[in-house]
Amino acid sequence: MSVPVLDIRDLRLAFQGFDGRTEALKGISLSVNAEERVALVGESGSGKSVTARAVLGLIQERRDTELTGSIAFEGTELARLSTAGRRRLRGNRISMIFQDPVSSLNPVYRIGAQFLEVIRRREPRISKREGCARAAAKLSEVSITEPERVLSSYPFQLSGGMCQRVMIAMALINAPSLLIADEPGTALDVTVQDQTLRLMRQLVLEHRAAVLLISHNLGIVREYSDRLYVIYRGRIVEQGATDSVFRDPRHAYTRALLDAVPRITRTGIPVVGEDVEAFSAPCEIHAEAA
Amino acid sequence: MRAVFRLLVARLFVSLLVLAGVSVLIFAIARVIPGDPARIALGPNATHEQVAALRGQLRLDESIWSQYAWFVNDLSRGELGQSLYTNRPVVKDIAQFLPATLELVIVAGILMICAGLPLGMLAAKYRGGVIDNVVRLLSLLGVSAPSFVWAVILMLLFAFYLPLFPIAGRIDTAFEVPGVTGFLLVDSLLDGQVAAFADALRHIALPALALALSGIGQAARLTRANMVETYDRPYVEMARSYGFPEWRIARSYAFKPSLIPSLTIIGLDFAAMLGNAFLVEAIFAWPGLSRYGVAVILRKDLNAIVGTVLIISAAFLIANLIVDLLIALINPRIRHSRDAS
Repeated sequence: MSVPVLDIRDLRLAFQGFDGRTEALKGISLSVNAEERVALVGESGSGKSVTARAVLGLIQERRDTELTGSIAFEGTELARLSTAGRRRLRGNRISMIFQDPVSSLNPVYRIGAQFLEVIRRREPRISKREGCARAAAKLSEVSITEPERVLSSYPFQLSGGMCQRVMIAMALINAPSLLIADEPGTALDVTVQDQTLRLMRQLVLEHRAAVLLISHNLGIVREYSDRLYVIYRGRIVEQGATDSVFRDPRHAYTRALLDAVPRITRTGIPVVGEDVEAFSAPCEIHAEAA
Repeated sequence: MRAVFRLLVARLFVSLLVLAGVSVLIFAIARVIPGDPARIALGPNATHEQVAALRGQLRLDESIWSQYAWFVNDLSRGELGQSLYTNRPVVKDIAQFLPATLELVIVAGILMICAGLPLGMLAAKYRGGVIDNVVRLLSLLGVSAPSFVWAVILMLLFAFYLPLFPIAGRIDTAFEVPGVTGFLLVDSLLDGQVAAFADALRHIALPALALALSGIGQAARLTRANMVETYDRPYVEMARSYGFPEWRIARSYAFKPSLIPSLTIIGLDFAAMLGNAFLVEAIFAWPGLSRYGVAVILRKDLNAIVGTVLIISAAFLIANLIVDLLIALINPRIRHSRDAS
């Protein structure tokens, strides 16, 4: 097997606050292979977003954190890179899609200018015209019919779904080998979210990029991932192929999470215990299908 | 750009309405203050006949409506009447004193923008660090003392104990600068007198700084607060996730969007400085309009009071108009509010 795109081993992270240390990650190990779509599932506060930011090297720039363990991107240990070296990866080799597309775009610049800035991360000398042409081409790939109009618009002039497409196009324009999607489209309504996720899946296939999908939404995870990791309070509690985990959830927390999904046929939202002892049980690993 | 033009026209129209309102108000108020302008002008030894004659000449015996009509009539010809204090047309007085005040206030405004905004930006970028704390302390000091206190302190420190700057006036009497714009800094350069320019600059430094300090403090504090808030916005995180350089993020992602509220405050401060300039002008013997304004109010010089207040209101409105336009240029929401869809 070739080198995984992303290989995290025993990642531990603590924040130093005014009232002492808070451990956010207590030894996370996960890997994403080339062109694989991996989901990291958990409730809010479980440490899933922080993991994504550590992969991007954003956590490392903060002074109030202690980070141990290893994050290797395409075989390169992130901790061995300089701050500038990690920054070079961002937007080039790794890019990220955020939860709220509208407020994730700079409100005082046109979409075109923001695209150009992203393209220049990879090719600093590209001309404005050529950059815009490339952005327009990428925008038509995300089914935007009038790319020129969108490029000359400000974010507030576009709908949420439109902004989400712009973000996807922006994230993929430099052909990264890893795309991190942090709760993509959670801020949008369900139909638009579904549309954009389909689009993302299709484009990721075409670009042969690997995806780390971060979500609390099991429906999305089941639909859009090959493999998944369940994270609870900074620990991975279950991992395996998506089908296998959904068919046979072994860890108490995973079962509770699956039970917590509101169903139309049932009445009300089921209650999940806050700190059930069984949730701290060791990690369940589903054997890889041969 | 169409929206900006429309905004400009609308604001100009409103400004004219405001000016008309101000003229009515100040016209009435000036006449309600107790005291007879003619008596004050002629002094206690003048006879009743002399006073009555002057009152007739000033049309003070007519109704306030007809007085206002005469005033509007004068105004339409660009006249503001005769000053009793200087015995010259008010327009001439204003033309003489206004440039000094405007020069002072404009230099103070430039200081406010060029010092206040960068200080706030630095403080926000290095939030919690040494620079941040120093800037916050300095800006608190600037805000908490009124400008005349700063005027006295600066004068004592840098003109008296440490005579780096001249103590009073606009320029050394040795220089003769031909008046073109009335701004000595501009006129001396137009005439090619570099030494005169340097001297005028040394004269204006302390009064302008005294006037600007509270504005610098406010601009810095506000910019810092807004930028700190903007740094938490998702688009800043997105910019970081794309690996944009930190300075680029500070400038385009945190500073530019937070400039909008800062500019509003600077506009208001700029206008407030026109009023605050009086005490600073008094302390530094600056021959400006504020000193003139107070002198004419004490003498109940009706025409001069109305003229001075009108000019200061107009400057206030123009300053705010400029700020509104700048904000419209920065904020695409305003610029494209109508012609977007």
